[in-house]
Amino acid sequence: MSFAVEETVPGRRGIGRALLADPMGLAGLVLVVVFLLMALLAPWIAPYDPIALDVKAKFQPPSAAHWAGTDHLGRDLLSRIIWGARLALGIAITSVGIAGAIGLVLGLIAGYGPRWLDSILVLIFDSMSSLPMIFFALAVITVLGPGTTTLIIVIVLVSFPAYARLIRTQTLALSGADFILAERAMGAGAGRIIFCHLLPNVVGPLVILICMDIPVVIMLEAGLSYLNLGVKPPSPSWGNILSEGYNALRQAPHVVVVAGVPLVLATLGFTFLGEGLRDVLDPRGAGRRWG
Amino acid sequence: MSAVLDLARVSVALPLGGFLSRARLPILMDVSLSVGRGESVALVGESGSGKTTLARAVMGLQAVSGGSIALDGQAVEGAAGHARLRRAAAMMFQDATASLSPRLTVGYLVTEPFRIHGVALPDPEGMARELLAKVGLPPAMARRYPHELSGGQARRVGVARALALKPRLVIADEPTAGLDVSVQAEVLNLMADLRAEMGLAYLIITHNLALVRHVADRVVVLYLGRVVEKGPTAQVFAAPAHPYTASLIAAEPRPDPRQRRMDLAIRGEVPSVLRRPSGCEFHTRCPMAREVCRVTAPDLAPVGAGRQARCHFADQRKDQQGEQHAVEHR
Repeated sequence: MSFAVEETVPGRRGIGRALLADPMGLAGLVLVVVFLLMALLAPWIAPYDPIALDVKAKFQPPSAAHWAGTDHLGRDLLSRIIWGARLALGIAITSVGIAGAIGLVLGLIAGYGPRWLDSILVLIFDSMSSLPMIFFALAVITVLGPGTTTLIIVIVLVSFPAYARLIRTQTLALSGADFILAERAMGAGAGRIIFCHLLPNVVGPLVILICMDIPVVIMLEAGLSYLNLGVKPPSPSWGNILSEGYNALRQAPHVVVVAGVPLVLATLGFTFLGEGLRDVLDPRGAGRRWG
Repeated sequence: MSAVLDLARVSVALPLGGFLSRARLPILMDVSLSVGRGESVALVGESGSGKTTLARAVMGLQAVSGGSIALDGQAVEGAAGHARLRRAAAMMFQDATASLSPRLTVGYLVTEPFRIHGVALPDPEGMARELLAKVGLPPAMARRYPHELSGGQARRVGVARALALKPRLVIADEPTAGLDVSVQAEVLNLMADLRAEMGLAYLIITHNLALVRHVADRVVVLYLGRVVEKGPTAQVFAAPAHPYTASLIAAEPRPDPRQRRMDLAIRGEVPSVLRRPSGCEFHTRCPMAREVCRVTAPDLAPVGAGRQARCHFADQRKDQQGEQHAVEHR
């Protein structure tokens, strides 16, 4: 019996290539990378200090000196948008990351652990997700006071149950699979089965869901900041810029436009990337493409 | 004689569900069998006869509702017992590809038993190569993922992994399922070689009678979760004492149409375990059922040396068959 060993192995690299072949996924990837670079490089690429006042130069329309114009206090809007990307993505990625980690661990425990523990956890997930999001957010903000930390806490509490449920369902479906039985038959303990064998097989869909949730979180942050319930004013949050621009809509319409464009683009970018990843990673999806 | 594995009146019953309901559905009833050191025992029966359930019960994947399991004469009880059993015995699953964790490499998977049982593994790559070589796979295979393997390769990886910790007993669930005839032969020869080399005992679960004839020293026939016949393979095949065994053997494809035995043909489907027949559970399909079979359940009774059968007419049948056999060979 002979074995062909030199054949190419389709692996993880195929997924990246498939994503690049999908125009929507590619557009999403480009947008996300641009915003990530903006957020990471903010101190070096922002032309001005985002909170430096120059009241004499207020409400200037876009010009060579201020590419995106200035706001009601004469602050450079382009710099504020760039720093705002750091704030928006920082909050979104941190909170969704924490929520994803909590959801992953609780979902695995609920799915593979004893029946009684599963019942308790499912009860918690269900009661958390039955709370209306905005009212729950308002309640937490009232108790803890507005601010970045409060925002992250709210987002984590609101989004982890959906992640936990997704992971639990997948874990339940896999826990009767032959390879899990085989591991048990070899004597593998619960920890090894959960972290070495279940986890790598359930995280894929979670990554997609998280990617598609980031725009929701960016919008939530902007919305709460717009209502002055999120990031505190001098900080250049996109929601703050939007809210301040709205007050001066007649005098200087460019402020609202400039704050709205990155919000729309970032939302679209993460949504496209999430959908592209879903099509590429989910073998049951309609847009099935394997490398 | 000390048996590696000894099952004494093992029963498995599944809860029928329903809130606070204590109703249980018996799947296996009073199954006793033993596998001696270096011996190869085959467990045969139709789909749904409880073969796979028995294998899972032995490995502790399925709770046992009665009876006892002993390994090397010591009862297997609780977590410690199962840990001991899982160290000394290994199971090969029916679907070899599906029983390999899909995101890990073959090299990791074959050496995983060392990691699980905390056995020192100074050179994982070398050990993986050695195990793969033992089952005739090239070392480059270690870097592959399970979905890149053919059915035969996955089966060999399963064998390599089962042998990693040098077990004394291997439970093989349909070791030839889904393989080409040529690959089946290779896997069986491999299993036979390893048995000779390492003194392995096998419990082989199958409905492939050709396989049983080829590899098993003794055979145990299950019907609806009960042992209906057991004994040395050659004797059971030459003169089956239970009509079910006879029918199974008669149902095997034969190259010569004149050798087909239509009079022994099995009738109908396996009855549902939800509605077990009265009396002898095989009477609904038995070509030689009489009134007594409908009413009284026969016991598993000795039929000659080392043989047992669960049939009212086992002795009669054996004599008859013996004569017939003699006639055929004249």
